[in-house]
Amino acid sequence: MMLKTDKIVRRYTEIIREPRHHALRSHKLKVGYPKRIVISGVELEVLPGEFIAVIGPNASGKSTLLKTLAGLLKPLGGVVYLDGREITRWRPRELATKLGVVLTERVNPGLMTAFEVVALGRYSYTGALARLTRRDKEIVLKALESVEAQHLANRRFNELSDGEKQKIMVARALAQEPQIIILDEPTTHLDARNKIEILLLLRRLAREKTITVIVSLHEVELSLRLADKLVIVRDGRAEVFNNPEEFIIETGVETLYLMNDRVSFDHISYTVEVHDEPKRGTPVFVIAGAGKGALVYRLLKRLGYVIRTGILHENDIDYHVAAKLRADIISEKPYQPITENTYLKALHAATSANIIIDASPPIGLLNSKNLELVKELRRRQKRIVKIIEEDDSPRDYDEVCCTLAMLPRILEELIR
Amino acid sequence: MAAQPRILMLFTTFLLAQPLTILFSVSIGSLAIPFNSVIDALVNGFRGDDIVSTVIWSIRLPRTITAALGGAGLAVAGVMLQVFFRNPLADPYILGIASGSSLFVALAILAGFTFGIVASPYDPYFLFTASFLGAAAVSALIITLSSIVRSVITLLVAGLMIGYLASALTSILQYLADIERVRAFIFWVLGSFAGAKWIHITPMTVAVLAGVTASLFLAKPFNALLLSDDYARSLGVRIRFVRLSAIAITALLTSSVTVVAGPIGFVGLAVPYLARLAAQSSDNRLLIPLSALLGSTVTVAADMAARTLLSPIELPVSAITALFGVPIVIMLLIRRGSL
Repeated sequence: MMLKTDKIVRRYTEIIREPRHHALRSHKLKVGYPKRIVISGVELEVLPGEFIAVIGPNASGKSTLLKTLAGLLKPLGGVVYLDGREITRWRPRELATKLGVVLTERVNPGLMTAFEVVALGRYSYTGALARLTRRDKEIVLKALESVEAQHLANRRFNELSDGEKQKIMVARALAQEPQIIILDEPTTHLDARNKIEILLLLRRLAREKTITVIVSLHEVELSLRLADKLVIVRDGRAEVFNNPEEFIIETGVETLYLMNDRVSFDHISYTVEVHDEPKRGTPVFVIAGAGKGALVYRLLKRLGYVIRTGILHENDIDYHVAAKLRADIISEKPYQPITENTYLKALHAATSANIIIDASPPIGLLNSKNLELVKELRRRQKRIVKIIEEDDSPRDYDEVCCTLAMLPRILEELIR
Repeated sequence: MAAQPRILMLFTTFLLAQPLTILFSVSIGSLAIPFNSVIDALVNGFRGDDIVSTVIWSIRLPRTITAALGGAGLAVAGVMLQVFFRNPLADPYILGIASGSSLFVALAILAGFTFGIVASPYDPYFLFTASFLGAAAVSALIITLSSIVRSVITLLVAGLMIGYLASALTSILQYLADIERVRAFIFWVLGSFAGAKWIHITPMTVAVLAGVTASLFLAKPFNALLLSDDYARSLGVRIRFVRLSAIAITALLTSSVTVVAGPIGFVGLAVPYLARLAAQSSDNRLLIPLSALLGSTVTVAADMAARTLLSPIELPVSAITALFGVPIVIMLLIRRGSL
């Protein structure tokens, strides 16, 4: 047995050590300004077509790192290799055909049209008078097309919206026909839609055109979803993770926020949770299951109620959400019928709560005790609010029915 | 691209208007000369025995040509500096380049620094050199500052400060110099094409033609510079080279004009604006030649106005360019949001 495991391990290491062509590589890289080292010891290996997200707090040195990787700043130490050659040894014109950038600075190119701005991308391909050949024009139009901005070609750049401007700047970088595009916070001034549009565009470029994309972002969740590799910049260091999962498991997304237990990352929903709502202290018991409770929990949590819930199986999605929101959960082991003991616990928790919310979970063999629970509570004349989906669905007048939207009002009235 | 016919029309208009303005300028004055006589005199060449020919060949023509060249040079310098500093208010005068010229000319005329190179401090070639060195010194100072401060506003303030400093030194020189020299200097400072002689025109023509031609080759990197220095570099522009060339060219243009005509304000500021408005473009490949044409036409016209408005009294040409330039600049400042 031992021998067999050994063999497998060796085979994996052989595969991993297979030499690969790097689009960009840094070794012992030190970045900063003449009198101030910002980040040191950057070891980055970027493959063609990889999408790399650089994350870190403001003033952590993301921009400095990106500018150094783009050859706009000289390294204070170490080297950056582009296509195997030191980046400082490339002539500006050659470099421009390999690498394009989109920076944070706002530009004001006067009366230039979007087409003219994109055509600047052909700078290193054109002659002394920058006359565009037919091929140049085609490439400019194609670049506009790939950011879906053909219709903006003859508009003045300064009259475009922030999102449109950003697309044009990306198109300009594309017109350079680069192997690598480096973007510094391209989503900063954009609205929700444009943010995602730009990021998806960048990933498409990476996937379909094998253009390496290195982009600094503040959108943590989107970065985790989209990036192949993560670079976390903080405290004068740049840690490189081979994939977001490695970061999530080894370091933890929470560490980005430096807010102790007020922020947590949920592996299952792949989202960041915040825990900072004021406690109103009124206990509410939610009968839930199969995801019916999730939105009720969110709403109660935001309003500051103390949440108790049951009877949930530990493998129920509601159990997971409730646990993330730090609710009191009356639970049963996975795939086990609910025991009498658990039922009594739930009954006790529910009767001592001010209000009971029936989130109408589906009832099956394993959780039928929930139905019993509702009946018993009704018999004891506890106040039960049943959550229904639409206002005009048939009602049972023994209990209050309301939609989720109305729930806050109803709770307020009932408690008063 | 739809602007193509518009551009063609603009160039045609000014290519036609320019010789006409020159013809007018040569024809109008205390001695009115009809067009056909002007053309006759020009075709037949200088004839010392003919009064019309003498007026045209030794007074009006050199003066007009100097104004035309000067206007072109200042306008092109203005276009370049406005792009260079990414500030529409930049012009050679505002950045103290002309003040530097004044100071060095003052050193020559007022303090009599000749370095033993020339016999008289009024020697035009020497003044040209002094003016050029003054402009170049201030330009170099501004560029050095620009690499340190990086902020456009700071740089403009620095330019103004350098201007004040040069003016202060100049006024001390004026205070200490004797009256004859001060008069000669004041005459230079007021700015006039009246003193233009053929001897000025040769170095000036060479300087302006060289400057404008060289600036045409900078139009491409200048278009990239419209975005930002970092963007330009990422597009393949050799920033250092372009910076140095631009400064050398603007210094050459500014000083070559300043030394002959004194500091002529507003042409360098207003003409690039007008060119941009007329062409509805920021493409320097168009703006540089267009500004040259427009600048020379406007300046010839201003010179004409300067010597005919209150004839026989001659107004300083700077006064005319400012009188017409100020309202234009104010109007454009108000409209700046759309530029």
